Amino acid sequence: MLFDSPVYFFFLIPVVLLYWRLNHRAQNIFLLLASYFFYGWWDSRFLALMIGSTTMDFLIAQKIVSCRPDSNRKKWLILSLVLNFTILGIFKYFDFFAGSFAGALEKLGVHNIPLPLIRIILPPGISFYTFQEVAYIVDVYKGRIEASRSFFDYGLFISLFPHLIAGPIQRPSHLLPQVQKDRTFDADRFFDGLMLIFFGLIRKCVVADNCALLANAVFGGQFGPSNFWLVLLGTYAFTWQVYGDFSGYSDIARGSAQLLGFHFMVNFRQPFLAPRLQDFWRRWHISLSTWLRDYLYIPLGGSAQGNWKTSRNLFITMVLAGLWHGANWTFVIFGAIHGVVLSVERYFFPSKVGSKGTDVPQRSIGFLSLWGQRILTFNILGLSLAFFRATSLRAAVQLLAGLTRFSWRPEYASAFFMLCVFSIPLFLVDLLLEAGNYEYPFATSPYAVRTALAAAALVVLALFSGSNLNAFVYFRF
Amino acid sequence: MRSYTSGSKLGALFYAKLLAGICAFLIVAFELLSNFMLKHYSETYARVSRQYAEAVNVRPGRPGEAIPVLIVGNSLLLEAIDVDRLKGLTSGQMRIYPIFLEATGYYDWLYALQRLFREGSRPQVVVFGVGVDSFLADTVRQDYAPLVLFDAEDSLGVASDLKMDRTATGNLLLAHSSAFWDTRSVFRTQILRHTVPHYEELVSLLKPQPVVPPALQFRAVANSRLERLRHLCHTYGAKLIILVPPTPSSEDAIQRMVIASREAGVDTLVPIDPAALSTKYYQPDELHLNPEGAQLFTSALANFLPKTLDHEQEVSPN
Repeated sequence: MLFDSPVYFFFLIPVVLLYWRLNHRAQNIFLLLASYFFYGWWDSRFLALMIGSTTMDFLIAQKIVSCRPDSNRKKWLILSLVLNFTILGIFKYFDFFAGSFAGALEKLGVHNIPLPLIRIILPPGISFYTFQEVAYIVDVYKGRIEASRSFFDYGLFISLFPHLIAGPIQRPSHLLPQVQKDRTFDADRFFDGLMLIFFGLIRKCVVADNCALLANAVFGGQFGPSNFWLVLLGTYAFTWQVYGDFSGYSDIARGSAQLLGFHFMVNFRQPFLAPRLQDFWRRWHISLSTWLRDYLYIPLGGSAQGNWKTSRNLFITMVLAGLWHGANWTFVIFGAIHGVVLSVERYFFPSKVGSKGTDVPQRSIGFLSLWGQRILTFNILGLSLAFFRATSLRAAVQLLAGLTRFSWRPEYASAFFMLCVFSIPLFLVDLLLEAGNYEYPFATSPYAVRTALAAAALVVLALFSGSNLNAFVYFRF
Repeated sequence: MRSYTSGSKLGALFYAKLLAGICAFLIVAFELLSNFMLKHYSETYARVSRQYAEAVNVRPGRPGEAIPVLIVGNSLLLEAIDVDRLKGLTSGQMRIYPIFLEATGYYDWLYALQRLFREGSRPQVVVFGVGVDSFLADTVRQDYAPLVLFDAEDSLGVASDLKMDRTATGNLLLAHSSAFWDTRSVFRTQILRHTVPHYEELVSLLKPQPVVPPALQFRAVANSRLERLRHLCHTYGAKLIILVPPTPSSEDAIQRMVIASREAGVDTLVPIDPAALSTKYYQPDELHLNPEGAQLFTSALANFLPKTLDHEQEVSPN
């Protein structure tokens, strides 16, 4: 059930209307069933896998709480981590590693190795709900939260439908208490939820889907052999596509959650206004980057053990972050580029180290320097996203090899113009949000103004969205 | 404990309800507007609706009468056939009923033909021409086709054949039921056409390049599709002819299509050898014939089509 499809709204509206007529206990059970229906609508074959995985971690958390001595608690933690990452590994990475191993053997002259390559379909949302389960088990083990006594509460925390397929990855300490406590209808937040949904749809259906036409044409070779202008067009178009796509998805997810009385963490904060890549990762897919920071980077040692080890930790974290996105070497290279650039940035622009081993943002910089750094960071991101978008390493290298050719065709002007038509409005909205620290444009204006804005957004949506439903980029992960 | 609304937040609730009302109003308004625009301003809708209505009323000719021939296809035929001229050249032998919708392929017409037959259309000959890549494509046109060519049952059939998930199936059904949902991309196209310079040239580049599958896969897919089409036409007493319109750099694919048709027991008509047509007969997109090319193609079609019916065998200038 795609968030930008009519079917989703045929589902969401009755769920919201019925939900607010129930008491807290019934609300949770109803939402859990609705979430399983939502997941099963996508692919019912994997519902059992998700319920099984949820049950397993629920029971292990109970064991961790009740277990004495501590060494047994650790065994349960390790068991949970092994099981969770084994399930994720089998469904997401088995063919990738088996195929890569076979490819390496082929290059060494060993042919026809009978590797057990099996066509595994990726269960929707498995990367997201696995990370949430791991966070829950680790937090229970470390005593940061209490283990949930109710399976319904825990099941709802894992599978609450707005975040189920593609996040934002919710922290147990943030979402679980919301599940466990009574939720009261807050009309302000309900209205804000509607606004988030409308503006999320604009980001996805108007910005992302139209930029996708350009990006797909460049990466699909429809414009002809690669050259400097096509690299620029393709990477810029994809950069705006993936931003509009995922930030739009996150807004719709957050808005849907707010209609149900939940609050989800902000997942994007104007990432293209980041002056450096380390700042970019504080603004982009925040729920993933903070998860990686807290459950991987800091346990590895963070930035508290000198430059060399910090660079190593950054590199490992970013490569794994890349691999999290998909089982392909293109994602590994994407992560490696970010790991290297982040390390280089730290060397030339050292940051203060916070008490938790994380970097503390530096003081403000001059206007021209700020915009120079923003443009540089945006272009580094764009080039790294060439690997993210390309179907293979060879395709990415072929595209980037065109950077030394400058042949121009008149159609490029139209393409760049179209890219500007759809990206500049989002850029201006980001400037507005950055200046006011809002979640959506004019968030503090009177209701009448915001209602008029939402109506205008609907008209824009009707006039500029395309005829094809395009799956969200992050649904693949 | 039942949840409640705090009294201080009634302003927000009022505007939330107002917003929901505006949504409902805009949905109805866009639906009505789309219906109006379609019926009064869309040349495509007017053409296909008229052609479809005429085709539904086709009945078999009596002995000695002209044979009713239904010709269906996409823009390759729309640009390549001068229908009035073809009717003039074949009058007395045939009654020509064309339905042409741009950017359509095998599944669009398979289900359109099923619906036509179901609704009583009885042509004696069905001429099917969409180009080899469109014949093998696993897609249907998302606008116009669900509204004009399919009914709800066909939409479900298309979804099943194309292995669409439930969301995509729901989308197709809605496109069949709602003029706005079906044609909403037309609004965008019209606005961009007036906003982005040289948008038409850009659009031709944005369309994915057709991919013709390798030989073995080609044969398997083409044979099963040809067989299914032939069976459908045969069930309703119609003879199927595959018409292959010329497109540059498609000779190999055309030859493979002719061979596949022969294997499936379907007549193929290649009125003009693509190798014999120079680029001066094509439009700047190098895909569709220009008016001069259409004159040539129509003449050749008028010449070879009756012979195909007479001899019931493959006729090709090759």
